[in-house]
Amino acid sequence: MLDNLISWIGSRGNTRGKSLSIPVFDGAFKPNSLLEEADILAEHSGFSDLVAGADNRLLAACENTVVEVSATGSLSEIAAFDRPVTALAQLSDGRLAVGLGDTVVIGVGTDAHVSIDTVDGRNLTAVTALYPAPEGGLLVCDGSKSYGCDDWAWDLMNNKKDGRLIALDAQGGNARVLASGLGYAFGAYTSQETGVLVSESWNHRVSHVADKRAGPAIDRLPGYPCRFAPAEGGGFWLSLFCSRTQLVEFVLKEKDYRTEMMATIDPRFWISPSFGSGSDYLEPLQGGGVKQMGILKPWAPPRSYGLLVRYDANLTPQYSLHSRVGGRHHGICAAAQVGDTLYALSKGSGRIVKMSILKTRATLFGENAA
Amino acid sequence: MMKTISRLRYKYWPDQIFGEILQKSWMETAVPLAVLIFTIVFFSTQIENFISPANLSDNFRQASELGFVVLGISLVLIVGGIDLSVASIFALCNLLVLYCMHVWQLPLPASIAITLVFGGLLGAVNGILIGYFRMRAFLTTMVTLIVFKSIHDLINVKVAVPISSNFPDSPMWDTMGYGSILSVPTAVWAFGIVALFCHILLTRLRPGWWLLAVGGNRRSAYNIGLPVNRIVALSYVASGALTSASAIFYAARLASPGADTGVGLEITVLTAAILGGIRLGGGKGSVMKAILGTLIILLLTNGLLRMATSAGTARIILATILLLAAALDIRWFKNRHKAVQEMYVSPAYLKLPEMPDDVAAPNAAFAPNDRLKNVETIGLGMIEAPEDVILDADDNLYSGNRHGEIIRFFAPDYKRHEVYARIGGQPLGMAFDAGYNLYVCVGGMGLYRVTADREVELITDETNRSLLSVIDDSRLKLADDLDILPDGRILFSEATVRYEMHEWQTDALEGRGNGRIILYDPKHKKTTTVLRHLTFPNGIVLGSDGQSILFAESWKCSIKRYWFDGPKKGDVEMVIDNLLGYPDNINVASDGNFWLAIMGMRSQVFDLAMRKPGFRRRMAKQLPGDEWLAPNINTGCIVKFNEAGEILDVLWDMHGENHPMITSMREHKGYLYIGGIYNNRIGRIKLDGADETFVSSGKYHVG
Repeated sequence: MLDNLISWIGSRGNTRGKSLSIPVFDGAFKPNSLLEEADILAEHSGFSDLVAGADNRLLAACENTVVEVSATGSLSEIAAFDRPVTALAQLSDGRLAVGLGDTVVIGVGTDAHVSIDTVDGRNLTAVTALYPAPEGGLLVCDGSKSYGCDDWAWDLMNNKKDGRLIALDAQGGNARVLASGLGYAFGAYTSQETGVLVSESWNHRVSHVADKRAGPAIDRLPGYPCRFAPAEGGGFWLSLFCSRTQLVEFVLKEKDYRTEMMATIDPRFWISPSFGSGSDYLEPLQGGGVKQMGILKPWAPPRSYGLLVRYDANLTPQYSLHSRVGGRHHGICAAAQVGDTLYALSKGSGRIVKMSILKTRATLFGENAA
Repeated sequence: MMKTISRLRYKYWPDQIFGEILQKSWMETAVPLAVLIFTIVFFSTQIENFISPANLSDNFRQASELGFVVLGISLVLIVGGIDLSVASIFALCNLLVLYCMHVWQLPLPASIAITLVFGGLLGAVNGILIGYFRMRAFLTTMVTLIVFKSIHDLINVKVAVPISSNFPDSPMWDTMGYGSILSVPTAVWAFGIVALFCHILLTRLRPGWWLLAVGGNRRSAYNIGLPVNRIVALSYVASGALTSASAIFYAARLASPGADTGVGLEITVLTAAILGGIRLGGGKGSVMKAILGTLIILLLTNGLLRMATSAGTARIILATILLLAAALDIRWFKNRHKAVQEMYVSPAYLKLPEMPDDVAAPNAAFAPNDRLKNVETIGLGMIEAPEDVILDADDNLYSGNRHGEIIRFFAPDYKRHEVYARIGGQPLGMAFDAGYNLYVCVGGMGLYRVTADREVELITDETNRSLLSVIDDSRLKLADDLDILPDGRILFSEATVRYEMHEWQTDALEGRGNGRIILYDPKHKKTTTVLRHLTFPNGIVLGSDGQSILFAESWKCSIKRYWFDGPKKGDVEMVIDNLLGYPDNINVASDGNFWLAIMGMRSQVFDLAMRKPGFRRRMAKQLPGDEWLAPNINTGCIVKFNEAGEILDVLWDMHGENHPMITSMREHKGYLYIGGIYNNRIGRIKLDGADETFVSSGKYHVG
């Protein structure tokens, strides 16, 4: 009774009451160093998306180009644009689709390419992810109404929740808004078993989309979910580009501080999640992150983190791959599975890493588990 | 506008005092005292003559009668029990003493003695059942309450008439009832003496401590060999005896064998004890609290009576107060330390000058470089937390560690080491005198000396207490760095008086002037504080004129100069006001300039937080310490500067491989030795063109 009263009073101002607790890494999220120890396939600071093509080719978006990544890690250019490529997908008929920030181009490299920059009377602003629909169409994530792909931190710090999930047909026509008002749409997935799913990064959840409404399908994630990649044997890989910290949740409640921070400080040095960290001494540091006896504790509050989770078709997490605090392979924003090989794109380090799924499972569950 | 108001509020409103006051143990008594004062004020505005001498005298007489019972029940509560039977014991004793005096006409002392013993025996019934048979206190005393009451009712019918028809001829008896000694009622005298004895018992005598020990933790009390059963039983005996004392005065005053004597007394005294702040759970309580509770309850009942409140309403009000007091009692005791914790941290407004935009530009004064990357590593894994490093004339290297020792690495290769001295607290700043006695500031302990033949001696661990401080700041909590002055005195800094060494991060979050600089005069063996309200002062080093010291204020990112002697004695001047990091130790360089250790770099988000005290306060309350925004002490550097405040040179370990945090450095014979409190190694780097004979410490004699 007294507690309720106090917490009610507390919730009037930001004093106490409202819980700042965040989900911990347990169960399928138990930390390991598998991502950190993965082999490096290619390294380029401009990587932004990664897909496994229909014929098992590995394609990546890298700065203004789409490249094919060979088995040895060499990059060969497939297409080039005048702006950075922000999202990449291969349609079921083999044609490529790219997001160029505020435009979607379908049929890249062919004469019959189509550009879409307005849907339902609203301009596309931040095309963060594309996903091919089985019937030949394309799912498009428009992260925000107000901020472009590079300015996602502004979107978060302004507590914006106006992302959209859009469906296009194979010709780029018949655009339909499947869901709107999303807390940053940053990844979509569709399959027979799961229906249409969309990542809502700022809400820390994956939502199930049906009848123009998005309801939580995977809730209370310990990080910021982004793109999906289909996994063999059903289900998918979900990449989370950073894990949550209580400090960020706290700052999101502190309007005065946030306003002044946004007005006066370079976004690279804000208190916010990040794709990578450790490169500049002006970055914020949290108490647990102080190096002790020459060691940065892996359980320190992360500024950036690497996390990739395997979900089955029932949306149950199976296991996860981590690159913990002090590691390099942070900011995992895309993954691709080709046979037994899993590729992950770490935006923080600008690397594409690869690992054997069988070996990974053996490490996690013992030799007989595979 | 709002910003100015907020800034002024944080500048002049002493936030920190609330937490400090709350921490005091006398706060527990302060709450009932405040309630008492409030009660008095309330009724004196409502009722005329509420504090007239006649009324007061009457009130005190009644208060003393009630007080005996409250004292008794307090003893029981302290042991962790409860005694509901006091009401019936009171009624029976009232009958007995009246019968002794009126019917048997016994002399007064005999009557009193018989009644006291009888009360004690009744209490012993409770005591034996609860203490030795381990029965529940609440149930047992409730049963005895009913049984004793029934006995009383049976007897009362038979003895009421004989008592009322006889009157004793005893002036003493009358004096006890309504007489006064020196115009103070007799009952008050008696109660005063008993209360004083109980106070001494509880605070100064072994049996009293036993009571508190049993109530505090029965199992521990048993384990250390206390006769727990007997102590519990005796507390009920004491309760019974004290109740009978109360009954004697009551009988002397009213001489009434009424059927409803003492009805509801147990509720009144319980309310009094709990209102006074005596815990239901046991282990806590004092006579003062019992008295305060008694006074509150008595004034309250009498006040309500005189405001013509009906008996039922008054009961309800009392019961409500008891309920509230019990709820508050539980919440307060459970959460007080949390409240203290939350209230104690009180961030201040601290505006640092803007960081220059081009901090990392290649030509900027602080341009990052990797010159510390190739340091030679000494004692890797052999030393933990070398806050300061120092070398003697034979080039041996000394450093404190977090195990509370001073480690000596042997020249010339520093591969061998030994424990030079064991101190017990973490050694921080160090300095040699001319006889190579090592003076060392020890965190949590004070200023110590390790003589040349390795004897550890305390120099000083306290200074004069400041006049207006709430917390006792005479003890040294975090002596930090020192230097020996040419006249043999020692100036040293105390980084903060509000926190322990491991809580430095909280002090950083507070950003308040919690530190001071202290002067030790060995001639008179006197320690005096010379500068107060410094923000984490650090890095004491003698200036080139021999009349001043340079010191750093870490959280203010500035270097200042203080004159302890000469024409400018007492002055403080700014030397550098806008460092890019948090300065720590300062030491002299061979070319007459100064080396400065920067333990960590500023970040804009932390600077912004320092301008938002409310933000930091909420952060401290809502987040665990590991999640707090902290100064970035994972990247440090070493700076060379001169007395004019110019930055001459900067050495960085950009990637923090060897020296992420640097708290000290010392130049010695062409090398620079580097220490860091969170490091597990000491670094050494060759300085180009430095004086190869230069020794930084060991110039002056102390004394």
